[in-house]
Amino acid sequence: MEGTPFERRALHDINLDIPDGTFLALIGHTGSGKSTLIQHLNGLLKPSAGSIKMGSTELKAGGKKQDLKSLRKKAGIVFQYPEHQLFEETVEKDIMFGPRNFGVSEESAKQTAARVIEMVGLPEGVLTKSPFDLSGGQMRRVAIAGVLAMNPEVLILDEPTAGLDPAGRVEIMELFYSLHERNNLTTILVTHSMEDASRYADEIAVMHKGELYLHGKPTDIFNEREALKKAGLDVPETVQFLQKWNEKSGLNLALTKFTVEELAKQVSQSLKKRGN
Amino acid sequence: MLQNVIIGQYYPASSPLHRMDSRSKLIAAFFYLFIVFLANNWVTYGVLIAFTVVTISLSKVPFRFLYKGLKPILLLVVFTMLLHIFLTKEGDLLYKAGFLEIYEGGVIQGIFIALRLLLLVMMTSLLTLTTTPIDITDGLEHLLGPLKKWRLPVHEFALMMSISLRFIPTLLQETEKIMKAQMARGADFTSGPIKERAKAFVPLLVPLFVSSFKRAEELALAMEARGYRGGEGRTRLRALEWHQRDTFALILLALLTLSLFLLRN
Repeated sequence: MEGTPFERRALHDINLDIPDGTFLALIGHTGSGKSTLIQHLNGLLKPSAGSIKMGSTELKAGGKKQDLKSLRKKAGIVFQYPEHQLFEETVEKDIMFGPRNFGVSEESAKQTAARVIEMVGLPEGVLTKSPFDLSGGQMRRVAIAGVLAMNPEVLILDEPTAGLDPAGRVEIMELFYSLHERNNLTTILVTHSMEDASRYADEIAVMHKGELYLHGKPTDIFNEREALKKAGLDVPETVQFLQKWNEKSGLNLALTKFTVEELAKQVSQSLKKRGN
Repeated sequence: MLQNVIIGQYYPASSPLHRMDSRSKLIAAFFYLFIVFLANNWVTYGVLIAFTVVTISLSKVPFRFLYKGLKPILLLVVFTMLLHIFLTKEGDLLYKAGFLEIYEGGVIQGIFIALRLLLLVMMTSLLTLTTTPIDITDGLEHLLGPLKKWRLPVHEFALMMSISLRFIPTLLQETEKIMKAQMARGADFTSGPIKERAKAFVPLLVPLFVSSFKRAEELALAMEARGYRGGEGRTRLRALEWHQRDTFALILLALLTLSLFLLRN
């Protein structure tokens, strides 16, 4: 609230252009404004200055009521701990909640529910169960299915793997990535994890103290190790390893994908070359 | 969205009111609840308003902040006021249209009742705004201490209260979070006919209940894990201190009561 000790400037001076079909990773320390930024994208929060443009819809500061519903249909948000949003008696009804709100018929919403439950890797039998009888990981998947059921063009993920075990983490991230590729989505991933960002993102945006601190291709971002450290972040382990490797071996290897597998391949190839 | 709710919120500042002992503030606020009902004419209401305004300005809580907190109950105030205006049939007839009759007594009564409600809410909000929840609980436990003789679970009561106060902001945050999540799924909490709107709250209330029960269970576990076993033999890190200003404040309140008695009809 303005003019009280509780007032705080959450975001400031952000110019970010996200082209269609991009996988953008939004990285930053706790309290850097990542979550605040994504909530502006579908009008859950309204800017006190500036504007947000998504497709043909524009949200302006101080503007009158716009058609938020179409905006929200276009951009689906998977919030942190999305399993907290489950409320219906059955999983099927909960998944249908989004589509029904956007005026989809009951019949076709049911079909959608059956389709998305499979997408998130759960058996169809789950549909008739109560969401509160499921395990934490299954609940997370159901909640994600509820967002996917709205058929969004832009998928916004706010730390979707927080609190999951390592295997579940990889599965969920792979799920999002294959959706991104297959359905040609624009994906915005909010994360703490440089590893996730380096593995999946086309572009990385680093937030620091409510401002857009760095933005570019992963390769360019990882060259700015000093700047990243200032924002309380570091480059991913694969890049750290490669930088040390290059230093010691005098070679100049470069990664195009930042996975451990890719790194291993590069290193073993260069070792073989040297062996010859 | 829910920023207007200030129930139980503490407003950090340094003011004479903030520095007062929580016991004297509790006594004063409790006492005030009764003496508000002494006022029954313009002069006594004037005195009460003056007292309240001075107290608010002493507290350094911006009036705007207090007003925002009042907003949710304004509807109730206006409703009560209208009820009195239309239903009290005393004094001169001021206006008549069909079956609607407005009497002078009704208007005055309506204004008095509205003022009474506003004064009550402002003063009690001021108590929590200038006192941290911990201080309130400590003060309450002290004041209710004598009741322990009759085996009343004073400590448990105070603890329950502090836990409730502590979790109001948490609950509000949670509400806002879930509200946003459901809005992102196309839920509409703000428009449509009343019946639809009431229905729209189901997706909000169910998750809130679920998480509240979970949280209560976790809290109980955490407390037990840290060896909590009730108030017996428990010592305190911070002692409450009664200063001259506390005595002074209570004397002032007594004077206010006296003047209300003298000035009322």
